[in-house]
Amino acid sequence: MHDVDAGYGAVRVLHHVSIEVREGETVALLGTNGNGKSTLIKCIMGIVRPEAGEIFLETDGTRVDLTKRPTEEIVGLGIAMVPEGRRLFPKLTVQENLLLGAYRPQARGDIARNLAFCFEAFPVLRARRKQLAGSMSGGEQQMLAVARALMSSPRILLVDEPSVGLAPILVNRVIGKIKELKERHHLTVLMAEQNFNQATKIADRGYIIVHGKIEFEGHSTQELREHELVKKYYLGV
Amino acid sequence: MVAGLLLGGFYAAVSLGVSLIFGLLDIANIAQPAFVILGSYAAYVMNRSFGLDAILTGLLFTPVFYVLGAVVYRLYYESFERRGEESLRGLVFFFGVLFIIEVSLSLKYGVDYRLVEAAYIGKSIDLGGVGIAFRLLVPCLVGLAMTLALHLFLSRTFYGRAVMAVSQDRLALRLMGADPVRIKTIAFGVGIAAASLAGALLITIAPVVPSTDRDYIGRMFAITVLGGMGSIAGTLVAAVILGVAESLMSTFFGPSWSLAVSFGILLVALAVRPAGLLGR
Ligand SMILES: Nc1ncnc2c1ncn2[C@@H]1O[C@H](COP(=O)(O)OP(=O)(O)OP(=O)(O)O)[C@@H](O)[C@H]1O
Ligand SMILES: [Mg+2]
Repeated sequence: MHDVDAGYGAVRVLHHVSIEVREGETVALLGTNGNGKSTLIKCIMGIVRPEAGEIFLETDGTRVDLTKRPTEEIVGLGIAMVPEGRRLFPKLTVQENLLLGAYRPQARGDIARNLAFCFEAFPVLRARRKQLAGSMSGGEQQMLAVARALMSSPRILLVDEPSVGLAPILVNRVIGKIKELKERHHLTVLMAEQNFNQATKIADRGYIIVHGKIEFEGHSTQELREHELVKKYYLGV
Repeated sequence: MVAGLLLGGFYAAVSLGVSLIFGLLDIANIAQPAFVILGSYAAYVMNRSFGLDAILTGLLFTPVFYVLGAVVYRLYYESFERRGEESLRGLVFFFGVLFIIEVSLSLKYGVDYRLVEAAYIGKSIDLGGVGIAFRLLVPCLVGLAMTLALHLFLSRTFYGRAVMAVSQDRLALRLMGADPVRIKTIAFGVGIAAASLAGALLITIAPVVPSTDRDYIGRMFAITVLGGMGSIAGTLVAAVILGVAESLMSTFFGPSWSLAVSFGILLVALAVRPAGLLGR
């Protein structure tokens, strides 16, 4: 993503934002409420269209411009998103939600394997697979949202605040599973988080976004930890 | 009683399109009964001109109706839905479609009752002392097959599951990699294709005039809501309940009671179960 400006109508939220996520990396996007984390992720998915700048995906030497593609095509390229607020289909069962996650043609052959992985990672989903998603607890819904995104066999996973509404032990579980996937399937992850400690558990490096500008790029979690913005906002120093 | 059960299978066939388009897509397509009558006339014309069986015609015409449905949905989408003006103006649009179909049929074929001929119409089979007319049995069986087919489409295919999801969260569906407009186009096409067969069943059971759609519009929506919006199994159950209730009422009190029965049952059921019999 290079030099992106974006916003909603007259309100500009992102200013000259440039970030890069390389294959196999896990990158954290850190920022407190209202600083533009979700907007940035929505730009990548084509949900919010940038006013300026470029966003592209480079695989095997070919470069695809994401700013001109509809969301469903971007998903088709192998980019999955766990949206803020989960956005499950409340009147469909857990299993139906998961199978919809595998809608992308490239994922359909992997359904059995991916389903087994999701059920092993989150056993509660197996037990509740006939239950309507809307009647699950908030934490269970968050697990389902992550699992549903994984059903699409993504190469790149964008996660908007996976820790919201989850008990610490479950946050660890979700984060641990993402880490496992990343190692096993070479998954590339961009994770928006307010929770610095959670994010740095799996991130290789990260960006700090303040008022829609990238204020700092940390090349390691150590560098992030030592930065004054992190100390000020997250560590209460 | 038996006649009522058979009628139920047929009512299910007639209501499937509404269950799909109104129940699952949230589109108030009040023109659906007119498409059913259009299906009846297609069957009539093919039967009359080529001696083709009505139900076979209904089946052969499903692709034509599918395309017709897809075109009508695109028109509706471009003119209303895309601009977020679907509710009231959309209703006017579908009322217009209903009117156009009904008037065109009246102009072309007049207002005389039309019927089809087939070897089995008029015959019946004796099952343990109860005579079952093929005229009712065949439509019932076809209706059951259609219900099963639609149920399998929705629950077993990727398109089907996307159809069930599309009115719940369009953006989330796009995040699954599906284009909501395409999904709705497919679903609308399937709903109208069902009308082709349903129309053929209708004219097999009884003669049809262009205004026969008015006898069915209330019944179709009553069955959809009673069964539970978008539930295919619920549609079948509700259709059978209504079929039985109507045929009992008309045996004892005369046929003019039948629509009152539909809505009476609907009101009582909704008071007890607001989501309908099998609604989620
Ligand atoms: N649909 C919208 N229309 C107008 N303004 C919006 C819209 N969505 C977000 N904004 C504004 O954009 C800014 C950034 O919002 P964004 O959701 O990207 O922040 P965030 O970093 O994800 O915050 P949070 O941690 O609370 O989720 C906020 O000031 C917000 O009010
Ligand atoms: Mg956010």
